Amino acid sequence: MAKVHEITVWARGVIMDKEGRDVINIFAQAAQMEGKFAQAFDNYEDLPDRVLVTVRKYVRLSDEAIEHKYVYTNDHPEVVVVIEPTIVKGIDILRGMEKGGTLIINTNRSIEEMLKFIPNANLLGTVATVDADAITGVRTVDFSGSEGGGDTSGIGKGIASPMAGAIAKVTGLIKKENLAKIVSDVSGMERGYNEVKIKKLG
Amino acid sequence: MAKELPGYGTIDVPKDRVVPFGAVTPAPVCQQDLFQTSNWRIVRPVKDDEKCTRCLICYLSCPDACWVYKEEEDVMEWVNNFCKGCQICIQECPSGALTAAPELDFPDGVVRLNKPF
Amino acid sequence: MAKAKLLTGCRAAAEGAKAAEVEVICSYPIRPYTAIMMELAKMVANGELNAEFVHGEGEHAQLSVVLGACAAGARAYTGSSGVGVTYAMEIYSPMAGGRYPVQMSIADRTLDPPGDFGSEHTDAMSTRDQGWLLGWACSPQEVYDNTLIAYRVGEDHRVMLPQMVCQDGYFISHIPDTVTLGEQSQVKEFLPPYRPIGPLSLTHPVSHGPQIRPDQGAPMDAQRAQTFLAVPKVIEEATADFNRIFGRSYDPFVEQYKLEDAEIAFFIQGAHSNTARSAVDRLRKQGVKAGMARLRWVRPWPTHQLAAALGHVKAVGVIETSTSYGGAMRGGNLIHELRASLYDLDDRPLVTSFMGGLGGETMWPADFDHIAKILTQAVTEKKVRNYVQWLGM
Repeated sequence: MAKVHEITVWARGVIMDKEGRDVINIFAQAAQMEGKFAQAFDNYEDLPDRVLVTVRKYVRLSDEAIEHKYVYTNDHPEVVVVIEPTIVKGIDILRGMEKGGTLIINTNRSIEEMLKFIPNANLLGTVATVDADAITGVRTVDFSGSEGGGDTSGIGKGIASPMAGAIAKVTGLIKKENLAKIVSDVSGMERGYNEVKIKKLG
Repeated sequence: MAKELPGYGTIDVPKDRVVPFGAVTPAPVCQQDLFQTSNWRIVRPVKDDEKCTRCLICYLSCPDACWVYKEEEDVMEWVNNFCKGCQICIQECPSGALTAAPELDFPDGVVRLNKPF
Repeated sequence: MAKAKLLTGCRAAAEGAKAAEVEVICSYPIRPYTAIMMELAKMVANGELNAEFVHGEGEHAQLSVVLGACAAGARAYTGSSGVGVTYAMEIYSPMAGGRYPVQMSIADRTLDPPGDFGSEHTDAMSTRDQGWLLGWACSPQEVYDNTLIAYRVGEDHRVMLPQMVCQDGYFISHIPDTVTLGEQSQVKEFLPPYRPIGPLSLTHPVSHGPQIRPDQGAPMDAQRAQTFLAVPKVIEEATADFNRIFGRSYDPFVEQYKLEDAEIAFFIQGAHSNTARSAVDRLRKQGVKAGMARLRWVRPWPTHQLAAALGHVKAVGVIETSTSYGGAMRGGNLIHELRASLYDLDDRPLVTSFMGGLGGETMWPADFDHIAKILTQAVTEKKVRNYVQWLGM
């Protein structure tokens, strides 16, 4: 039974719910283009139709077909992506992570400044920041609700593209070339890929 | 020939999963500490005591009752654990005593809950 | 050749409705089925689907609107979840008795109290006496397929009954999985247009739903019961056609997984059957002769087919994700009808039930191991200790 990599994406309800969902959908599609198996789904309990509430989206990635476990959480995330940086103050985002995991945050603040808010950072092997807000210039593109439905802006518009690019660079789990075929904002994705700051920890 | 019929079984809800009778829950009198919403905010209001006229409009307009008037000290006090950063008080303050500051600028107010509410 | 896409159950249901070219849709939001209506609204707005999209003011209004639309001759579609299903309760019998083959897509949700989004089957199960066709899907692919099969069966002139196509909320409705959509040519071959019988019309006026005397009541009921005698054959024909045209291999009533030589079996419907299937594989590797029977239609209940499929098994564990408080077995709904199906066999299996997945809880592989252990114990003791066991409690 091949290892299942768990990736958890933290976003905020309504103002970046679609962006969070785009990140996981882009990730899953890119992984599938390489012949990997991926599942991508929102957390159901989070009730994301409340403005600013913290919400989770999940990706599961494996070399073999992933069995549906019908669970509501990723219990042992390998990669945690935080699209709204204040979440590090509000949630224990590294909970369940095994040693050597990766954390990627969308922020223009320094890595040291962010690490001050994460007491269990000793679990991390890699931490990275990317200023996706500056790359795209706008934070919220689409207020489309969490139940699917209207998404006319295209997958990856807004901060999702730079985040996807950053994830590709930091984790190597997906390829930039595949991302370019999926996202609607290829230059944003390229900039996220190039401008992400990575730091390896102990 | 009487046969022993199967029983209905027993139901033993584990102690950590017991729920109140009929889902009737005690209503909070003042604060609902089980539902902290401080991790919803991205900005927080910062108060300038010189400009503040103690008009109490911030207290009236806050949907989460996060402004409290401390009578002895004659200042408005901001309640940390429920402010969602909606900025209504900042908009409504007539003397411009409130400004929004990014939450990440402040080392306090870290709640680090296990999961969203 | 249609490509496989990753779709949620809700999106698959919407695609099914679009493929069936529904003409009137009535919506009212309730999570988790609401995504179906959002997808359909998008399709109607984009011009991909030429349908009348009506916003109901509640689930009772939803069912009333589609009843009227179907009475006038339109192929109508609606849906609901949880307490929405029970809010519309008044309309179910008139819909079935008036022979309006409307389709209702249900994404299960626990009934209140207090307010749980998780999936339980009680919402749709509580309508099973109303005379509708009723069945559960276990994957987004099956939701799409059942949408088409249900319309074909329901609109057949030997049947003319409304249908509920059910799926577990969140597990099926919100988690994407591979779905192969049908080509329009395949759908056209499988699903003929809706031809109403005695629709409301300006040229051939009719009355629907008149007042009757008590002595006319029994023949009315008998007519509806007669229909249900004819339904199984239509389901078999439709499923065989569907398998042929779309390349699937559904058993019309009961999916039988490794049942031929099974000594213990899981009897289950809905999403958790996927976990059950893996459990059967795992138990087989450990030398346990386990099998699974997955129910696809609750109404009409496949009495003889279940007796044939499960008659040789020594012990059957019914996994109930619905509740029937105070029922004969003090547990769920499925066990009563399963025991009744097996009652007349000479050598009938031991049957007991397990309440699992309630409230939308995950059913773990360990739960199925536990169930297998209890069933094996029952076989050894040649009796069932209890009618029901609540997993984890």
